[in-house]
Amino acid sequence: MNLILFIFIVLLGFTSYYFGRRKAYTIQSTNKRLTALPQFYGYYLAIWCAIPAFIIFSLWAIFEPTIVKLLILSDYSNQGYLDDELNLIYEKTKALSRGQFTGEITPFIEASAEKYLSLRSIAQSSKAVIVLSIIIASGAYAYKKISSNSRTREPVEKFLKVVLFTASLAAILTTVGIVFSLIFQTIDFFKVIPLFDFVFGTHWYPAKAFVRDSSEALDPTMYSDTFGAVPIFAGTFFIAFIAMCVAIPIGLMSGIYLAEYASVKVRQYAKPLIEILAGIPTVVYGFFAALTVGPFLKEIGNSMGLDVSAESALAAGGVMGIMIIPFISSLSDDVITSVPQSLRDGSYAMGATKSETIKKVIFPAALPGIVGSILLGVSRAIGETMIVVMASGLAANLTLNPLESTSTITAQIVVILIGDQAFGDPKTQAAFALGMSLFLVTLCLNIVALRVVKKYREKYE
Amino acid sequence: MKKNGVKMIKINSKNVDVFYGKKQALFNINLDIEENQVTALIGPSGCGKSTFLRCLNRMNDVIDICRVKGQIIINDFDINDKSCDVVRLREKIGMVFQKPNPFPKTIYENISYGPTIHGMAQSKNEMDEIVETSLKKAALWEEVKDRLHEPGTGLSGGQQQRLCIARAISVKPEVILMDEPCSALDPIATAQIEELIDELKKDHTIIIVTHSMAQAARVSQNTGFFHLGELIEHGSTDKIFKNPENKKTQDYITGRFG
Repeated sequence: MNLILFIFIVLLGFTSYYFGRRKAYTIQSTNKRLTALPQFYGYYLAIWCAIPAFIIFSLWAIFEPTIVKLLILSDYSNQGYLDDELNLIYEKTKALSRGQFTGEITPFIEASAEKYLSLRSIAQSSKAVIVLSIIIASGAYAYKKISSNSRTREPVEKFLKVVLFTASLAAILTTVGIVFSLIFQTIDFFKVIPLFDFVFGTHWYPAKAFVRDSSEALDPTMYSDTFGAVPIFAGTFFIAFIAMCVAIPIGLMSGIYLAEYASVKVRQYAKPLIEILAGIPTVVYGFFAALTVGPFLKEIGNSMGLDVSAESALAAGGVMGIMIIPFISSLSDDVITSVPQSLRDGSYAMGATKSETIKKVIFPAALPGIVGSILLGVSRAIGETMIVVMASGLAANLTLNPLESTSTITAQIVVILIGDQAFGDPKTQAAFALGMSLFLVTLCLNIVALRVVKKYREKYE
Repeated sequence: MKKNGVKMIKINSKNVDVFYGKKQALFNINLDIEENQVTALIGPSGCGKSTFLRCLNRMNDVIDICRVKGQIIINDFDINDKSCDVVRLREKIGMVFQKPNPFPKTIYENISYGPTIHGMAQSKNEMDEIVETSLKKAALWEEVKDRLHEPGTGLSGGQQQRLCIARAISVKPEVILMDEPCSALDPIATAQIEELIDELKKDHTIIIVTHSMAQAARVSQNTGFFHLGELIEHGSTDKIFKNPENKKTQDYITGRFG
């Protein structure tokens, strides 16, 4: 029913476009000057026919269940039920009305189910009637407008603006929503675990929290020395550091090569090839690191008499670095290319060689942009999950030895949230606290990166 | 500079052809440039005058598809010869561009750039001196002496162009090439640069490409007129402007085309 109504509204929108446009041609044929191009008449009519109906349709879909629930549960009010029990009654009613209820059927529930069904059918038919009458009303209004040849271009343009604004608003609201969902859980977490213990504790062992029987009362003291985030923050930055040690030199040098040395032909093929690296799914990098690079490093290490873990920070960081190369090379290639040719000419004309020009003129001029690209690379390295989960182990060792395994914020979030978990439990909330800290770190990095890039733009545009 | 009444030839070009890919941009150019004189190259847009100028310090090397044929002899040496060291050549032949292009560095660093590359100063004092002399020669010293360590990009257009001239003369070049140096400047800045050009010709040979015939007449002693990649006529500025031999030159000078 809903689907049919929806398709009907969409089809109506399309047909009314052609209808409106034809109307415009009719007006034109009477030698009247149109106020806008004929398609604006079409758009105008289509918008008026479809959009108000669609808005009502959506609002109805959002509020109908709530209202029906209220009406059903009003029968049970003043009977001393708790909220949870009321919810259960409502679920039972719904299940019964669908014929999927298997438990004991009480007369109360049966009556409610009948009421539910009748309410739903009333709602469905009144929805259809209301939507149709709105289509007729708004469509007639619009048709009258275009028949009298009044302005259609401005309303259509305004409507487009509103649509675009809504789209960006949706993106922003989602971000805000995510932040809020993090904030509340994080606050709950810090009610149990002191902030100080989290930020300065050196022992991360959330598995200890898994041991707790959920029927036991929450005892904050049992979590002491469990959620010290220092090892995983250290691990995160350490692996990101290893990754940047690989990505910055290689990415930067290949960026400089592409921008300054490569002939048009080489660039034409090399640039897309490097960018293929960016298209490889991170899970593929993950098993490349875990199954190829890790064991390879272990073998080399063993042959040199070193004790190398198969899940070493070096393997994870190194492969992560390879993953980030295309970001840095592609972005730095772009900023280097956008350094004005006149600066190169000026330097060459002074007798500077290519490498002198790059080192002394182009690189300093492009530096802010390059720093920006590096910071974006760092925030990717810190946020990267799959490679670390697969290749660097899950035990949070506090170590600076790249040959040992260590763990990162992202990997720990995965560990915590995989499988069954109870909401309202500190071990689950720990994931939110970690997510929040990760979000803050990358946010700061991105802000700095954007500022630096912006500063660079001001210089040349 | 006259020696025994004979003008010294600084640059001697023979049968210079330039190609951009398959398209020929210059046809058989034979032009002698006199020492310590200002030579103006004039002609309508796209006539090849800038291309010719860029041949003189091999700046066309920068353009992948550009090929230069023929001989350009400076100090008895063909700069198109394989043995020519472009770095040394460009030390001897400076260039000033159409749009002021100071490096995004301080005023001081802009000037010290060339001398550093060519290892011309042994100490900080020597470098300070080079910077000061260059800026003085470019008539910019008084305006910037208190802010040598501020960015060169913060100067006005005319000041930037004089900074670029100072940068060019910092390595004591024998020849200075100027590619429409005033086209991005206002009349006052233009007048300052023209005055400067007159000063500079005491120590340097100057070749200037210009769109303004009035400017060519004001600053130059010799003029070459280019049209469609050919050197139509060249000679003393007086003669070109007052008594041109070629009809095309006359038409261009009098503003009938171009």
